[in-house]
Amino acid sequence: MSLLKLEKIKKSFTLGPVQVHVLKGVSFEVHAGEMIAIMGTSGSGKSTLMNIIGFLDQPDSGRYLLEGKETARLSDSELSSIRNQKIGFVFQQFNLLGKLTALENVCLPLVYRGIPEKEQKPMAMEILEKVGMGDRAGHRPMELSGGQQQRVAIARALVGTPSILLADEPTGALDTRVGQEIMDLFLELNSTQKITTLIITHDPRIAAQCPGTVRMQDGYVAGTEESP
Amino acid sequence: MILKANLREASRALISSRQRSILALLGIIIGIASVIALVSIGTLVQRESMRQFMEMGTDILSVQAEQGRGGGSPKGFRLQDIVIIPESLSSIATVAPYASSYGELRKDGKRMSIPGLGVTESFFHMNRLAMAEGRFISDLDGTTAHACLSSNLAEKLKAQGIATHPGSELYYDNRKITVIGTLEPAAMGGMRPYEIQEGLLMPLPAVQRMSSQSIISTFMARLSPGFTTVQGTEEIRAHFSALPDRMEVRIMSPEEMIAHMERQFRMFTLLLGAIGSISLIVGGVGVMNVMLVSVTERKREIGIRRALGARKKDIQWQFLIESVLLSLVGGLVGSLIGVATSWGIARFSGWQFEIVHGALVLGVGVSVAIGIFFGYYPARQAAALNPIQALRTD
Ligand SMILES: Nc1ncnc2c1ncn2[C@@H]1O[C@H](COP(=O)(O)OP(=O)(O)OP(=O)(O)O)[C@@H](O)[C@H]1O
Ligand SMILES: [Mg+2]
Repeated sequence: MSLLKLEKIKKSFTLGPVQVHVLKGVSFEVHAGEMIAIMGTSGSGKSTLMNIIGFLDQPDSGRYLLEGKETARLSDSELSSIRNQKIGFVFQQFNLLGKLTALENVCLPLVYRGIPEKEQKPMAMEILEKVGMGDRAGHRPMELSGGQQQRVAIARALVGTPSILLADEPTGALDTRVGQEIMDLFLELNSTQKITTLIITHDPRIAAQCPGTVRMQDGYVAGTEESP
Repeated sequence: MILKANLREASRALISSRQRSILALLGIIIGIASVIALVSIGTLVQRESMRQFMEMGTDILSVQAEQGRGGGSPKGFRLQDIVIIPESLSSIATVAPYASSYGELRKDGKRMSIPGLGVTESFFHMNRLAMAEGRFISDLDGTTAHACLSSNLAEKLKAQGIATHPGSELYYDNRKITVIGTLEPAAMGGMRPYEIQEGLLMPLPAVQRMSSQSIISTFMARLSPGFTTVQGTEEIRAHFSALPDRMEVRIMSPEEMIAHMERQFRMFTLLLGAIGSISLIVGGVGVMNVMLVSVTERKREIGIRRALGARKKDIQWQFLIESVLLSLVGGLVGSLIGVATSWGIARFSGWQFEIVHGALVLGVGVSVAIGIFFGYYPARQAAALNPIQALRTD
């Protein structure tokens, strides 16, 4: 059984008088443990697709099965709970909360899960150590480099042991060397912990390291290829 | 546990936008301070008037001569019409007439204007006074210029190096007077004329001889046991209208005094109540403004939290707690100021001060209510944000 399955997903936006059809019928499947790069020209709908996969947005039509279950017609609090439990987001701009320390940022998903404060700290600490940020737990994002912030963000995405990690251009704001370090972290997490990962990227060198690549074009998934 | 995290983050958010927060708080502070002052002073006044009447007794009437009809010059009572009252009216046990004057006290080249009061011996018991030193005015003093000092006046004179012990001599309205005693401090209010706090007491005949203008405008009367104020009032009124030159009198009973105080207090209530509610509305709108700006500034944060699994409800709580905390801070500061204000007013008015706990509870309650009422809309706005749009703002 696939971890997630999209069937003929359509999504359009109304911009004033014009309707922009961004996703025109995307069908797409991800199995547990896979690591897939999503590529495509700017504006091809990669982020839109990822938002739908991550339950931040809803498709206009089409079916979305997560772990075999239909996800249409869920309430806001059910969707929030799925985001909290099953999805880990990593953003291009890191999106850490500036007023909180690294540790507190990592705790956030646990806060919304209602885990007692005493249990949050050790869980967050463990995952921070896993991404190599154990010694920076008390620092605020401002005091960290871009690469370090992205590591904290990855820790935050992983702390709730989600089914799938969604990364929208996670190396886009980093230089090549640091970007590669982050990519190495994703690869390591995928190979050692079998964390299912979707990475949107414009960088062919990043995509080439992923076992699978999906191309988006004109609102469709143009092709799925296996890397050698 | 979400609550605890929310509280911590709310206080951080408020501290980081300190300036704006403080401005919004000003209204709440003034509003809550007024409310607290209002309620505490109301309670203090009530307790105070109770205390005064307990001290003086509730069986005392204050009788004033009505101004002569046709607007003639005030004529006052004749002493002999008053002194016969205890014998001729069964409802009245004792009377204490007095006449006010105002004069210049002089000694060793120092001068000060001092209120004077001409009294009889009965004045002492009627007002439940006590001597700190020496003796009180006696009816045997006649027109002799003997003077009894109020405790405040004695303090004032001592501060200027003027002797006040019995036997000391002073000049009052260019007449030599001899001090015979000093009163213990007496609480203000009730039926007591205020001169017993600030002025000089002399035998009534002496005062009347010194100044033709000082007339007996008022006397106090204590009811005989078993008689009501109504009975006393009626008998006194009948007594004066039966005189050959028919006098109208105005009689104040303790009940009326209390009613009078309450009337005065009601005006005060209206004033402070108006200031209080206007400031609270201004403060509430300020809180709402702070929160709306805060929501706009933190759209991205809201988006991030939503992506991490915050429900609309969680976001709404977060902002609601923040606005409650904001107005609660204002409420606490306002409560402090309100208590200080009521303390000041109590001191100024010579009332005994107590912290009125009910007022504090009210202050905290009102500020929490304002935080909820004016924070609800911004919190709703924050919760209703579309997660993606919120994430896209920078
Ligand atoms: N909320 C929205 N309202 C209106 N139009 C939108 C909205 N979100 C996306 N679009 C439009 O949908 C199209 C696809 O956007 P999307 O962000 O998915 O592209 P992308 O493939 O991620 O591009 P990039 O590589 O630049 O990130 C764009 O034309 C964009 O303007
Ligand atoms: Mg994009």
